[in-house]
Amino acid sequence: MMRPAILDDPKRELWLAWYATVGFYSLYTVVFFIITRTQPPGKPWYDPSQVVGWFAGRHDGLLIGFALIFVLGGLSATSLALITYSIRRMSVSRAFAYSYLILYAVAAVPGFLFICTAMTVGAMRPERSPALLQWLYDLAFLSFSGTMGVFLIGSLIWMTAILLDKNHVFPKWFGYLNLCNALTEVVVAPSWIFHEGALAWNGAIAWWINVVVFALYTGAFIYLLRSMILREDFGTGPLPGLDSKVWRTIVPVEATV
Amino acid sequence: MTRTTGERIIFWSLPAVAVVWIAAFFLFPGFVPPMSPKASPAQVAAFYADHTSRVRYSMILLNWFCVALIPILMLIVERMRLMAHRTPILRYCVIGVAAATPIAFLTATIFWLLAAFRPYRAPELTQLYNDLAWITFTCGVPFLVALCLFLAVAIYLDQQDTPVFPRWVGHCNLLIAIALVPAGFAGLTLSGAFAWNGFLSFWVKNLAIAAWLVVMAVVLGQAYARPRSAAEVTA
Amino acid sequence: MTTTQEPLVVVREQGTRHIPGQPDMWVFVFFESLVFTAYFCVYLYSRTQHERAFLHGQSQLLAWLGVLDTVVLLTSSWTMARCVQHARAGRYAPARRDAFLTAGLGFVFLVLKIVEWVRLIHLGHTFTSSEFFQYYFFLTAIHCVHLLIGFVVLGVLVWKLSASQEIVETCATYWHTVDFFWVLIFALLYVVR
Repeated sequence: MMRPAILDDPKRELWLAWYATVGFYSLYTVVFFIITRTQPPGKPWYDPSQVVGWFAGRHDGLLIGFALIFVLGGLSATSLALITYSIRRMSVSRAFAYSYLILYAVAAVPGFLFICTAMTVGAMRPERSPALLQWLYDLAFLSFSGTMGVFLIGSLIWMTAILLDKNHVFPKWFGYLNLCNALTEVVVAPSWIFHEGALAWNGAIAWWINVVVFALYTGAFIYLLRSMILREDFGTGPLPGLDSKVWRTIVPVEATV
Repeated sequence: MTRTTGERIIFWSLPAVAVVWIAAFFLFPGFVPPMSPKASPAQVAAFYADHTSRVRYSMILLNWFCVALIPILMLIVERMRLMAHRTPILRYCVIGVAAATPIAFLTATIFWLLAAFRPYRAPELTQLYNDLAWITFTCGVPFLVALCLFLAVAIYLDQQDTPVFPRWVGHCNLLIAIALVPAGFAGLTLSGAFAWNGFLSFWVKNLAIAAWLVVMAVVLGQAYARPRSAAEVTA
Repeated sequence: MTTTQEPLVVVREQGTRHIPGQPDMWVFVFFESLVFTAYFCVYLYSRTQHERAFLHGQSQLLAWLGVLDTVVLLTSSWTMARCVQHARAGRYAPARRDAFLTAGLGFVFLVLKIVEWVRLIHLGHTFTSSEFFQYYFFLTAIHCVHLLIGFVVLGVLVWKLSASQEIVETCATYWHTVDFFWVLIFALLYVVR
């Protein structure tokens, strides 16, 4: 049997990480939107008895869906490993790469650990007092949407690295898109204040518009990471081949001959 | 040349820290035997009222020392530098999960300590803290599972004449990852093998973690004991 | 370790349309415009649901202050454009002056905004007091965040003034966008009744 080419491909580690990233985000989407139905989020204005009903309607989904995240959530590290690698490939200080790595490693805790724990504890004892269930409900949703700092600073770090980078690892428009993503963290801040309306944790602005921006941002970086892996030459200079058909991004360089 | 000064100090801290972890494990009155999820609020409250001191001291110990795992994980990351990988991606994956791994344990200790702080509060509140602690402790395995998977992949891809870790360590990590999976489902049932006091979610999971620590300590020690090859010196 | 330098081709032929600044910044402008449009749609929808309350809220605003804000920002866009012109012609000292003037006008706008917010808060209208003011403070605040970013962008402009005309134009594009968003917010909050 011929030895499959992928085993000798020096980029196989990168591809493994990339496919794991795609797998993780797919799982995440399916679990949150379909299995547990915690996104779109429950309504913040529910009184305790309505919260009991919310949990009751999702009992099995919550327990099974979040169990899957409890098992596989650690795969999120592949995406941040790839992004750290992309920043390391840039012509900027390694401080940017390591900052990003730590910020997003820590982000896993509010990013899914709290909501998984709070929702599991909520669903496992339906006879728990409604006031306590509402406490868990608040903990779950606010820790999930409302912990903004890691993503805000992380996006700004990545943005700065991209805009300073002379190695053309990512197109500049993606640097600016990081700013858009960072701003969603500013926009979600009022969710800690309002129980209803466009700025509540399920609101038209703080959730719906924000999620669209975040989804586009995530889709963009997954696509761009793939493009980076394809172009990777394992050097330290400019990464070749970033020419989008829509606009030029290649910097003119003196011809050597 | 990669500096390794001080790594042995971190390495030899592992047995010391392990002693603390084991001591805390047995000192906590709710591990041997593990508390039942089916206990009523009154029973849970009684547990904390009767065993307040032991809960507090064991969890303070664990709170201090659970993050001591991180330097040890970093030793593994440094050994991974010598693997025949083309990129540091897998090292970054390990660092990525290393930060969050002890947080699950840390958070669980906080909830246990809170439960014991005012043992005479309303039993339902104590039960809530107890549930939060147990679910975090039992189900908080994602980072460990991922860690084992990343290490296994790293070892399998380390195809050179003298791999940093022998191949069986990769198999071990895979097995341990599988052994940790049932614990993720502990929220689904209050009794049986999957419950947080059950055979799979408690005994298999915690013994798997202990086994991982033993295996990695042994192979790390072997890696340090191996005479430094020319390749390592110039790494 | 040297890498062979292959000549990278400049893909900008004669006769193609010249976009000022990085095209990437225009992508950002387009995207943010979509986002702001979405915010405006949410506001307008909410307004149709509570027309009376919103009208009452709007009557608390000082229209002349809104006009003054708009004039200040439009002037800053003019000084920004002049700066770009000077820079293009190589006149860096006047360009730098215009850049600082732009920043100064931006600062004036910020002060006016804060004065207005303080006044409204003293009158009892806060972020949480009514639905109209929830939107008012949200839209003006998120615009101010963009303005603050604009100061950083102006800093980059001054830093790269003699080095890269493209970056100068990119920064100018951002500033004009901030002005553009304000005009829309002004129209929505102050004028449309």
